[in-house]
This record gives sequence, structure tokens and C-alpha cells, in this order.
Amino acid sequence: MNFYFIGIAILILGAIFSLAVKNPNNKLKTISVFSVIGALNILVASIKTFISGANDFVFNLGSVFQNVRFSLDNISAFFAIIIAVMSTLAIIYSNGYLKPYIEKGKNITAHCLFLIMLMASMLGVVVCQNALMFLIIWELMSLSSFFLCLFEYEQKEVISSGIKYLVYMHLSVIFIIIFFALLSIQAHSLDFNYFYGVAKENIQLANLIFIFGFIGFGIKAGFVPFHNWLPDAHPKAPSHVSAMMSGVMIKTGVYGIIRALEICSIPTLSTIYLVLILSIITALYGISYASVQKDIKKMLAYSSIENMGIIGIGIGVYLLATHYEYPTVALIALCGSFAHILNHSIFKELLFLSAGSVYIKTHTKNMELLGGLIKKMPITAICFILGGISICALPPFNGFVSEFLIYMSFIKALDISNFGVFIVILFALASLALVGTIAILCFTKTISIAFLGESRSEHCANEDNPKSMLVSMSILACACLVLGLFPQYVFKYTLLPARVFIDYGCACKQIEFLSTISKCLWAFVGLIILFLLIKKAISNKTSIYSTWGCGYNKLTSKMQYSGASYTSPFLNIVKPLFKRTRDVKKAKGLFPTDAHYETRVDDIEETYIINPILKWDEKFLSKFEIIQNGDIQQYIRFGLAFLALALIVAILII
Amino acid sequence: MIVKILNLILLLITPFLMVGLIRKTKAFWGARKGASIFQPIYDFIKLMKKDSIFSSSTTSLFKIAPMINFACIVFASLFAPMVMGQSIINIQGGLILFAYALGLSKFISLLASMETASSFEGMGSSREACFTTIIEPAFFIVIASIMALCKVYTFDSLNQVIANSGSLGILIIIFAIACLFIMLVVEGARVPVDDPATHLELTMIHEVMILDNCSQELAIISYCAAAKMFLISSLIATLILPLSLPFWASLGAFLAIMILISIIIGTIESAIARLRMSHIFEFVFVMSSLALVVASLVALKLYGV
Repeated sequence: MNFYFIGIAILILGAIFSLAVKNPNNKLKTISVFSVIGALNILVASIKTFISGANDFVFNLGSVFQNVRFSLDNISAFFAIIIAVMSTLAIIYSNGYLKPYIEKGKNITAHCLFLIMLMASMLGVVVCQNALMFLIIWELMSLSSFFLCLFEYEQKEVISSGIKYLVYMHLSVIFIIIFFALLSIQAHSLDFNYFYGVAKENIQLANLIFIFGFIGFGIKAGFVPFHNWLPDAHPKAPSHVSAMMSGVMIKTGVYGIIRALEICSIPTLSTIYLVLILSIITALYGISYASVQKDIKKMLAYSSIENMGIIGIGIGVYLLATHYEYPTVALIALCGSFAHILNHSIFKELLFLSAGSVYIKTHTKNMELLGGLIKKMPITAICFILGGISICALPPFNGFVSEFLIYMSFIKALDISNFGVFIVILFALASLALVGTIAILCFTKTISIAFLGESRSEHCANEDNPKSMLVSMSILACACLVLGLFPQYVFKYTLLPARVFIDYGCACKQIEFLSTISKCLWAFVGLIILFLLIKKAISNKTSIYSTWGCGYNKLTSKMQYSGASYTSPFLNIVKPLFKRTRDVKKAKGLFPTDAHYETRVDDIEETYIINPILKWDEKFLSKFEIIQNGDIQQYIRFGLAFLALALIVAILII
Repeated sequence: MIVKILNLILLLITPFLMVGLIRKTKAFWGARKGASIFQPIYDFIKLMKKDSIFSSSTTSLFKIAPMINFACIVFASLFAPMVMGQSIINIQGGLILFAYALGLSKFISLLASMETASSFEGMGSSREACFTTIIEPAFFIVIASIMALCKVYTFDSLNQVIANSGSLGILIIIFAIACLFIMLVVEGARVPVDDPATHLELTMIHEVMILDNCSQELAIISYCAAAKMFLISSLIATLILPLSLPFWASLGAFLAIMILISIIIGTIESAIARLRMSHIFEFVFVMSSLALVVASLVALKLYGV
């Protein structure tokens, strides 16, 4: 725990130092160095926790806060490792990413400060065990990420999506405040330790409290129907910030849900079904929308929603299995959930960083304008492809291992002899398979439109990015493969947080079956390498010729298949899920001058629920324009009227 | 052990013979003599000797894709039950490894076909990707229902349906076979979904994805498509064959089922034309409905509702 505080102190020191440094490039270098050192300290502290168990640290901050307790247990340590490593890699990446901005003369002082503040506050959130302090650090985290989002504040859309993010975060905080308020009223304390008693006394109340917590933290995590901020805020933020937000920050929402579970214990059956079905819907909704996006980063944001759904499915199955007292199933499901939290933070960060690397060179996020980047930016392209394979949960990468665990929990949950469970589990299984295949559709589309084929417009790159960007990406890409091939060593540590909930002796069996999987995946890699070597040995003479145009030989790169066409068969199947708008201007006359065709897919939740509410809200509030009309005389009149009223009231009372 | 080695040998040879037999059947219905059923093997050897031509738009991803595809098929087949209902590696979760290895093969072949920058191949890949989204969930529902029915959580549970459920089992088997057969037609790119003999690129699915492949690459890809067909046929065989058969009878019955499936496919290809593109989706959706029927039959058996 001491190391943990030293780590956070080093981060804060780094922020202060960066203020003193003049040269903006050195500023970034300063915070990178400090974040590496800080992250190392936090790693030491977390690993020590894994080995020797949890430890507490109590500050006395007077009567308002009571005793502020920080505790580094297995769950906190697990999240702290993810936060420390992923944030540091993103900060290192920002050295290269922000260079073009610095050359244009942009001031990055505040940006550096908020980067460190975001990292430090996330680290604070996962160890704080005092409700009031938790809320303060939580707000600090939301605010610093809000300011990071506003990096390109000159653009109007950036400001509007930033405000949207802020509004959603405040909505989330309202629910979290209710959650903590209910708990602390019952427990007469702000300390988490006293909260555990509430569930034991009153199960119905604990269930209600859990629902508040789930909604509050679910907004942060991006569960449908509270996801709307995510696809707006992530694409507008600079890539390392979106990587931090999507890879790490939304995980604090999951952390909150897990803590809420720990505090409120197992909710009632209907709540369990609610959590499970909401998660399934989240996964399906997220990936369906991801597959139709044009903007690479928006696609990745929707895919984050999908992965939150998968994590939620794991938690849901854990709850279901615990309700029916099947500890092995519960353990596998929860372990899969934790493993997916770790894996998602790795490959999502990798994908966001690669997307940023594309953006910096080509100045566009619209994949329909890209193409052929694999020839100019090979490392970025390979990183993106590897990230894509991992996120589609294909072997032998890490995504496969965590989804495998969740699938295994389904298959074992079929053992629970209950009709409802059978139906729900089959539904979840089919949905997860569907999510997997739509993910394949979505990522083959993105990869092939943006990176393969020929360049579609003048937005093309000449060379790959500087090393500081590629280093972070390569480390993450390697991590994807290593975690896929050695699951038994790495995911031993995801068992530790899972065992906070289930202390049964079945953990060892778990490792055994992970090592079988590891052997299978090694065999798979062996097969691939063997066959490639055979191919190399037997291959004949090769020659190069242009692509066959089916008899037509004036092909241009604009005639390639577009992303919108690629998804259109899928889009036609799930028509009612989307709101599609077409903007067509047909070519007319013998010598047509201009023609225009554009399709757009809007989020149905945004179009049919949020926008009408906002419209109504605006209409209602505009009625009060009479009061605030900018006329100073009238304001003085209001003041006088108020004073008079106060005087009359005072006289009447006396 | 013998069974396992036999499985591998069957995996390498049977796909060719099945394709040969399908062609022979088509020739029979067309009143032609037709090529020998070993013709696909001769084609394979001929293609392996040829020089390759690659599109100028492609990179080494395109060159390594067929071999990765092949590795995926071989890896997936390690988990699929074949002769005697035994798979080479029998572990819990073999189903998932099987399905996801095939998923990787699809992922790689989609990327490879998109790499040629040809709009025809884009068309094919978009359809192929879309069909998979319909098939995969149905496949998982069928297999998981059968697992729940037999209370055996490995892929081999397919061979225990009759033993576990008596007369209702026959109904379950019929629907499950119908499901797997649709999957076979779609994955193996046969009529009425796709026509491997057509020359109209606009209406093709799997065949159009490999327009720019030739020689060794084409040989391997064609083998992979046939092998997928064989794998799914062997799932069907496992569903039908009872466990109690002795080795030779079981092997004979297995091969007989392979021959029967090839003849049925050949007959279908001779009897009907391929469907219109918009109807193919409806055809593939039939699989989902059938899968739900299997699930409800299993629920009926287990919970009596």
C-alpha cells in the first residue's frame, strides 16, 4: 500500500514538474517518465497484494469524511494493474501523437496535467473505501476526462459531444449518490466495511440499492440504454485519450458494479435476469451499430459497448449460478468476466492507438476514404489486424480465452435443471455466437476497407509513424498473443479477484483446463507455422499481374467495394434496428454536372427517445425566456421585488 | 488410436471423393458419362504444379491466407467427431474450438479476398460474412441443446441422442440433421445457395471470393471448402450412427452416409436451380427456426413443458 501512495505521489509530482518545463515536447517526455515510474510502483504494490493479501490505510480527515480508508484488495489490485499499465502506454504514445499539434503551436500544458490527473484519479477510485471520498475522486476522474475530450475545442462538434458526456456523467453520479446515500443511512457510516451488514438485514432493500448502483455505474460502463455518450465522446477525443477512456476508464464502471455486488450480495432472481438480458442486449446492440459505422473510432466506441455487454453476460451467469448454487459455473463465469476486462482493455487500446496512428497520417477517420494503408504503414496495419482478430475472439489470441471461459460457463450451466435457466442460457449462447460473427463482419469490413486494397482518395499515408507511437502498439499486440498462448499463467491472477466472491476449492481445476486450451492453441500455432513452411518449400515461380476485372480493364481504385455496401446485406436483415437516412441527388440531363449520394445510420435510441425528450425539454424551458431576457432594468426590478417580498415576509413573521 | 489416425486419413481424402461423387451424380442425371470420381485429386495435383500469379494490389497476407485457412480446417477437424463418433482430441469446449477455428478461417479468407481491390470479390465476401451471422447462432443452439439433452458436455454428445431420449430422440435427430444439412449447403457453397459451376460473378458467393486465386492457392482453397463439407457431414453421421456398432460396421456405415450425402447434394444440384439472392436469406433463416424446434423438443423432453 505504501508503494501505491508513492506511485500516486510520483504521478502528481510529474504533473507539477510538467508545469515547470517550457518546451512542449519535453513536457510530454516528463509526464511519460513520471508515469512509467509511478506505474512501476503501483505494479509492485498490486503484485504484493496478490501474494500477501489485502492491506488497509486509514487517514483521519475530520468529522465530515470520518475515517477515510484506502484498501488494496485483490479486486483493486487487478484493476490498478490494468489502469497503471494501459494509461502509461497511452501517455507514451501521446509523445508521437501530439507532435503535429505541437508543431502547429497548440498549447498542451493543461492536456498534460489532465492526462496525469485522469490516471491518478482512476487509481484513486479503485482503492478508495469511503463513500464521500469515492464520489469526490469519481468526479475528478469524470472532469479530467471531460477536459481531455475537449482537446480540439475549436471544433463545434467536439464541444457539443463533450457537454453530452458531462451531462451523462452527472446523471450517473446522481444514481451513485443515491446508491451510497441509501447504504450509509442504513449503515450509519461512510465506510464500505459497514455497508456489508445492510444486505444481511434487509434483502429487498439491498436489491433496490444494487439496482441504483447498477444504473449509476452502468452509465459509466456504457450499458444500453445508457450508452449514448460513448459513441459521441470517444471519436472526438484525441486517440490516446479515447484509448484511455475506452480501454480503462469505462472499466471503473464495471469495478463499481462489482463492488456493488460485493456489498449487496446476490440480488433477487428477477434482478439477475434483468442484468443478464440487459447485458445480452448491450452486446448485440453495440456490435450491430459498430458494423455499420463509417468513422473508425466511432466503430470502436460501439464495439466497446459490445464488450461491456460480454463482461456483463459473464457477471449475469455468475449471479445465476450462485443463485442456484453451482459454484464451479459461477467461478468460471466470473473468471471469464475478469479475463475479458483485462483482454478488452488490451485490444481496445491497441485498436484505438492504431486508429489514431492512421488519423495522424491521413487526417481522416472516415474509412470510406482510406484504403491500401498496409503497404505504407505496415506496422500499424498489422497491429490493427491482430487487434481485430483478438477482439473477434478468434484463436490463438487473448480474446478467445476469455470468451471461451464464458462459453464454458454457459455449457456447464446447462446442467442446472431449470426450464427458465435452460432457455436463458441457450439465448445467451446464441447471442454470444451472433455477437462473435457480427464482430467478424464488422472487423473484416474495417480492416479491408481501411487497410487493404488500393487507396480510395487523396487521404493516403507515405510512411509509418514515429517509434514512440509504434512501441506502445507493438507491446499491446504482443500482449494479445502472449495472453492467448499462456492463459494458465496470466489468468491465474483473474482467479484471485474472482475468489473474493467464491471461496471454493474448485479453483485448481480451472487452471488445469486452461492449460489444456493453452496446449491446443500452441498446437494450432504450430500447425500454422508448419503449413507456412511447407508452402514456402513447395511454392513455384510467381508473377504479378493486375486484379482480374472480369473482362473490364479500366479499373480505378474508386471502383472498389465500399464499406457501406459490405454491410448492406446484413443491414437489410436487421432493418428495424436502424434508422437509415438517404441523401440522394441524381445526375440529370445529357451532361450531368453534379450528383450526390449519402447514407447515414442513426442510433434509434438517440432518434426516437433522447432527441424527442431534448426537444420537449427545450420547448418547456424556453417558456422561461421571459424571465431571463438580458434586460438589466428588468433584473433590477426582480431584485427590488424580491427585497420587497422579503421585507413583507419578515414583517409578517415578526 | 487407430480410429484417430483413420480420422486424419479420411479428412485428407474423403473431401476430394465427395466432390468427385457429386459431379458424377450430376453427370448421371444429365445423362452424361462424367469424369472419374478421382478427378478432383488429379485437379489438385495439377494445380499444385502450376506457377502462381498474384494481383498487384495484394501483399503477403494474400499469399499466406490459403495456408492459414488450411491450418484452421485441420485444427477444427481435430475436435469434430468422425468415425465411431470419436474425435481426435476430446475435451470439454471442443465445440467452441471447432467453431472459432472455422471462424478464423473465414476471417482470413474474407481479408484475402478483399485485398485484391476487386468489387466482385467484395460482393462475395459481404454475402459470405452475412450468411455466417445467421448460421453460427443456430449451430450453437442445436449442439448446446443436444449437450443438455445427453448431459455430456463434449462434442461427442452428438452420438448419444438416441440412447438418451428414445422415440423423441428420432424427432430431435431429424430436425438437427435438417439444420446441419442447411449449414452444409451454405458452408460448402453448393446449390441452391451457391453454384460452384456458374460463370456469372454477380450472383456468386464463395466462388467469387477466390476469383484472383490460382494454382497452389486455388488448390488449397478448393480443398478447404470441400473439407468443411466433409466435417459437417461427419457431424450428421455421428448423429445417426448408434454407439454400439462394431468398428468395421461403423466405418462402413460412416462411409455409406458420406456417399449418400454426396448423392443427395448431386441430385439437388441437378433438380433445382440456385435461389435468387433475396431468397437465399430466407432459406438460411430456415436453419434458425429448425434450431429453435430442436431446442424446444429438448426442453419438452427434459422439463415436460
